[in-house]
Amino acid sequence: MTPIIEARQLRKHYGGPLAVRDVSLAVNEGEFLSLLGASGSGKTTTLRLIAGLETPTQGTVLFRGRDITNVPVAQRDMRMVFQDFALFPNLTVWENVAFGLRLRINRGRVTSDQIKARVGQYLDTVQLSGHAAKMPHQLSGGQRQRVSLARALVTDPPVVLFDEPLGSLDANMRKVMQLELKRLHRELRKTFIYVTHDQEEAMGLSDRVAVLQDGQLLQLGTPDDIYFRPNCAAVANFIGAANVLQGVAEVAPGRPLGVQLTGGLRLAAADNAAGIANGEAVTIMLRAEQVRIAPAAGNTADGLRAQITERLFLGETVRYELDVPAAGLRLTAIAGGDHLRLSLGDDVIVTVDPRNVRVLPRGAGPRVDA
Amino acid sequence: MSAAASTARQDRRQLLIWLLPPLLWFTVFMLIPYCMLFYYSLGSTEYMTFKPGFSPANLIRVFRAEPYLSVLLKSARIGAFTAIGATILAYPVAFCLAFHTRSARAKFVIYLLVIVPWWAAYLVKAYAWKTILGTNGIINALLLDLHIIHEPLTLILYNQFSVVLTLVYIFTPFSILSIYAQLERIPTSIIEASSNLGATTFETLTKIIIPLSLPGVLAGAIITFALATGDFIAPALVGGPDAVMISNVVINLLGVAFDWPMAASIGIVVIGVGTALISVSQYLEHRAQARF
Repeated sequence: MTPIIEARQLRKHYGGPLAVRDVSLAVNEGEFLSLLGASGSGKTTTLRLIAGLETPTQGTVLFRGRDITNVPVAQRDMRMVFQDFALFPNLTVWENVAFGLRLRINRGRVTSDQIKARVGQYLDTVQLSGHAAKMPHQLSGGQRQRVSLARALVTDPPVVLFDEPLGSLDANMRKVMQLELKRLHRELRKTFIYVTHDQEEAMGLSDRVAVLQDGQLLQLGTPDDIYFRPNCAAVANFIGAANVLQGVAEVAPGRPLGVQLTGGLRLAAADNAAGIANGEAVTIMLRAEQVRIAPAAGNTADGLRAQITERLFLGETVRYELDVPAAGLRLTAIAGGDHLRLSLGDDVIVTVDPRNVRVLPRGAGPRVDA
Repeated sequence: MSAAASTARQDRRQLLIWLLPPLLWFTVFMLIPYCMLFYYSLGSTEYMTFKPGFSPANLIRVFRAEPYLSVLLKSARIGAFTAIGATILAYPVAFCLAFHTRSARAKFVIYLLVIVPWWAAYLVKAYAWKTILGTNGIINALLLDLHIIHEPLTLILYNQFSVVLTLVYIFTPFSILSIYAQLERIPTSIIEASSNLGATTFETLTKIIIPLSLPGVLAGAIITFALATGDFIAPALVGGPDAVMISNVVINLLGVAFDWPMAASIGIVVIGVGTALISVSQYLEHRAQARF
């Protein structure tokens, strides 16, 4: 099936380093795809290139296989939801939502009764029916974003673009809006392209996530892929809390792959043994929540001796920074907030399941050329 | 006395010290002159000398006796044309400055070009128009050289048109700055949202940008209107007999006729009408001001 949106070798240069470096990605019809990255990663620029709000220095944008690189913004079948909502301050909520439809009335594509019905329907969808006559400044942040959402959806575009739509909302309102977006996506079956710097948001909402850094697309995959099978240290470090360690592979016939870490510690790794030669330098990843810790006192289990150097209580979980003196290592561990009550300075025993030691592919990761 | 109360007293005293110079300025240069103006307007003259009194006769004469009211109306009309002309010229410049000038340097240069004429004396600029529009002026010379006309045009100087033209030239920067300040407040994302929803540039202009810039347009128009209506140099230099304005009348009453009460009465009426107009326009500006 032809992807609904395809970016081919998109490049944007403003002067200085490239804002977007040869990004290629295909978005499938009905998909919820997130562009995830830190600020300056090129995610917003990529979205704006797709929307037509920026012109690429190089590369093409395709819509259902048709080259739309030079099609003006107004003629692209995509609507955008902006971070600052971009509501028209001189128009009421109702007029804001009706704006796109009213433009079509001039072109004979819709009648005023249809506009009334549709605007009413979409104000209902975003639960703002009672606020139709208000001005945007009379609404709360969450309500404004709903208006902007209704305004984008009411014209029934096949693709909706989101530029950090929840970025200016407080934490609680974000959670509410996230659920709402997920519901809308399920009900409307439109293609959503969603820019965010919030990895949890990206993972929770999306069918697929594109991780960007310094204008480059590092990895495009399902949240599961991105989380458990990152293709480079940059992705592993960006998503969740991960321990990314350097070592040398130890391959012997009949034995599982081992990794001799730089500090002298040896870890068994179950996965991904194929193709790695003995003595080869490898990068491994160990998710923080897969680092198991237990109090050292009176514990005879096999494992690493470590000491807690920092403890952050995060509610559902507790994050521990560990110092492993024997191996000259620092590790991050995340444990459920309820079962362990370890304190700063406590000695612990660290155990790692070899199945959770992930060897990262060679050669992947950000290019370093200019 | 408690320490808090003493600090509060000290604060109040400090505030008073800070406020004293502006209060003094306001009293000496505004409040007292206004009172004097009002006082003079209620008096009368006898053999060209002022006689104090408390009669509104002069104030009534402003509306009843010719030519005061008709000159006042003509001045207001010239002011209105100036405001309209300045707005029409200023809007595109302000628009360019706000939306089509990305580099800070280009912005600065345009800004400078707008401001620089103000470094020249007003009189010089008004005189410049005289040499442009005059019988031996640049326009006539050019048209004669091109054999478009055979004798110099006299229609373009010494009438209301030339006054409006000169005033528009002189006061347009006020409109530009006022409209620009308002346009500058419009977030780019709003314009992007409009085109993203399918609006053409023209639709975005008429449905979004112009309504949002209305307060700036109004503010600019009221400034240029007020400045132009009260002007006396342009009518004196390029106006001719047809374009005598209210300030010229006041000057004559003061310096030639020595009828200070009449001059003061006109002043009071102009101040009153001006205050009323500014209040109305402020109310309209406030109503038109969208909250971002």
